[in-house]
Amino acid sequence: MRGPNRRAILRSAGGASVLASGLLAAPPILAQTKSAFAGTTINASCFQTTYFEYLKAYLPEFEQKTGIKVNFTMQAFPVYNQRTDLELSTRGSALDVCNVTFIYSGRWIGAGWLTSLDSFTKDPKLTPADWAPEDFAGGPQSAMQNAKGETFGFTWEAGAMILAAARYDLIEKQGLGLPRTFDELIKVCDAVHNKDNVAAFTADKLHHWNWIPYLMGVGGNVFKAPPENLTPTLDTPEAAQSAEWYANLLTKYGPDGILSYSDDQSMRSQMSGRANIRTQAITWMVPLAKHAESTVQKTVRYGLMPEGPKGNFPGSNSHGLGIPAGSRKKEAAWEFIKWALSKETVSMIVKNHGYPSVCRLSVINGPEFKQVLTLNGQDVASLFLEVLQLGGKTGYMKYRTVPVYPQVGDKINKAMERVATRQQAAPAAFKQAQTEALQDLQKAGIKVDL
Amino acid sequence: METGTGTGTTRAQHRFFILCVAPSLAVLALITLLPSLYLLATSFTPLSLTRPETLWDFSTPLENYSHLLQDSRLHNSVWVQIKLSFWTVLLQLLIGLALALLLNIRSRLLEALRTVFLIPMVLPPIVVAIIWKVIYTPDISPLHGLLGLLGWNVPALITDPDWALTAIIIADTWEWFPFTMLMVLAALQMMPQELLDAAKVDGASPWQLTWHITLPFIKGVLLVAGLFRLIDSIKAFPLIFILTEGGPGNVTEVTNYYSFLQAFNFSYLGFSSAITVALLAATVALSWLIVRLVGWGNKID
Repeated sequence: MRGPNRRAILRSAGGASVLASGLLAAPPILAQTKSAFAGTTINASCFQTTYFEYLKAYLPEFEQKTGIKVNFTMQAFPVYNQRTDLELSTRGSALDVCNVTFIYSGRWIGAGWLTSLDSFTKDPKLTPADWAPEDFAGGPQSAMQNAKGETFGFTWEAGAMILAAARYDLIEKQGLGLPRTFDELIKVCDAVHNKDNVAAFTADKLHHWNWIPYLMGVGGNVFKAPPENLTPTLDTPEAAQSAEWYANLLTKYGPDGILSYSDDQSMRSQMSGRANIRTQAITWMVPLAKHAESTVQKTVRYGLMPEGPKGNFPGSNSHGLGIPAGSRKKEAAWEFIKWALSKETVSMIVKNHGYPSVCRLSVINGPEFKQVLTLNGQDVASLFLEVLQLGGKTGYMKYRTVPVYPQVGDKINKAMERVATRQQAAPAAFKQAQTEALQDLQKAGIKVDL
Repeated sequence: METGTGTGTTRAQHRFFILCVAPSLAVLALITLLPSLYLLATSFTPLSLTRPETLWDFSTPLENYSHLLQDSRLHNSVWVQIKLSFWTVLLQLLIGLALALLLNIRSRLLEALRTVFLIPMVLPPIVVAIIWKVIYTPDISPLHGLLGLLGWNVPALITDPDWALTAIIIADTWEWFPFTMLMVLAALQMMPQELLDAAKVDGASPWQLTWHITLPFIKGVLLVAGLFRLIDSIKAFPLIFILTEGGPGNVTEVTNYYSFLQAFNFSYLGFSSAITVALLAATVALSWLIVRLVGWGNKID
């Protein structure tokens, strides 16, 4: 028998080294997962959002690397929440990855409908150290945890409320600047309202998100001491005074029909130059400077949410990806979350698409993020970070993650509409909201101070 | 003997027919009765999606029903429902009837016009709601634009508490008057010509023909159309969901929409079931009452 000749040995050695170098170059986790998950299909769902619209374009890359096929569906925000609420409550296995919506996070985590992700992040075989769970900003991430500190989701979006003046040129013309206090906001609105046919202020109809920073700014709150004491505090003089003030802001300075405006309509009113100032999450503000259809790209300016006599409480929220308790493909689901929220993927979405509201600190602090969020010469990235830090410091946003917030929020929306349309005076409207909220909380089995 | 055998055969036939329809009846019962019974059962529990232990908790079976009596927002929704149902059914019957009488002439133009009038009814309800959302949103509305050009600045109807319900009534009437029109037209085309001819020979005027011949003939159809529309108006949802979400405040919040909120926004399925059971009972009672009071129409002598 002839032994291997020199040429054959060299050829096989060369082949082996090429193979070895290829394996070394591939991320170890993906190399390991390709065979383990080949042929697996997972179902993921979220509400309609640009982050996942962008991400969907890269899904084939993930599918090729891991062998996991992803059915990713998106619905309108309320539709997604209702469907997922029902799906999670049945503990069914229709979904493997879901968006953990901020206002529902307390309810879904509290009811045990989501899987704790700690077992995945603490296992080095499932999660490499450089994936770094601690890299997610603490403020937004707190909504994804229970009282024991267990994690049920990782955030892909941090909404930070800022102020945007779509037609800052009109404000400048009046010799004024961006409003920094509630009083200044009224002064600016008074000065620019209907100048050049532009309404001074705009907002969407989600008053239980938009109004609360104004309520807190005058010393009010939604609950006594959330999340421990959920006794509503909607019948206080602060609430009545603030509601009157905010309703006036909407009706006196807003475009006609403002009370029916959705998020998108409100953004469009600014983009088309029909309305000027809005205080809302950054996701709705950046398109004013970046969207191809925006007519106010050059005139928009950004600032912090104005502060009230009791301080500044800009809203911040977050949405994360989690795994439903009923999923039968949890490890494959985790592979997807790991990829979708890895530093590389998040960084790529920021770099390629200019997505503004990410949660990875390493990306937020990086030069690309700063470059993407330097709008008309303004460092909007710093504003974003400042709001996230404000929310994380004192935890004033906890009111919004309690399981009963959808019910109480509805009462706030209705009361604000009654005040704004002069059906009721603010004290009466919010007294009614308090009574209804108390009834609802008792129905939900929540103990309240009576 | 013959009679006995005949009766036996009839009975056997009867049993055979029952056996034939039994599977269909069983499927029908499964599809319609079981969910209704489940609805009734859950209405006796405090079922909440966030508290699975409440699923079969019958410890306080009448609690939801006692909440119904105390819930002022529910009472308001019933009043809104009554106003919405009354005006939409009335307007749809009147407009549908008037147009059917006008279009009951054999002419190519009018036949084409009939088809055009049917369009609102065949559009998906969500599309209808979006059309009206555009019409009622001042900054994108062609109607508001036109009125603005004429110097009339009309406020946004769906955010004005004095107009919001009227705005829903207009949209609902536009969507559903063709239903009445279609039913009445079908009835009119089946009306024996000799009835009209005989009346004409007796010297009846067109008004008398309509009042004494046509209307009595189509009375039953009008009643059926009215009942259908009444029941459907109680199920009103897409227009309210898209246009006003029950607002401003609670001005357009009908009972059906309130029940939806309780179940799917707040997770109170037990309470929502109780509302639905009460609504169902009220609808059945109302339909029965109307049929009893008005009758199914009289035959013309």
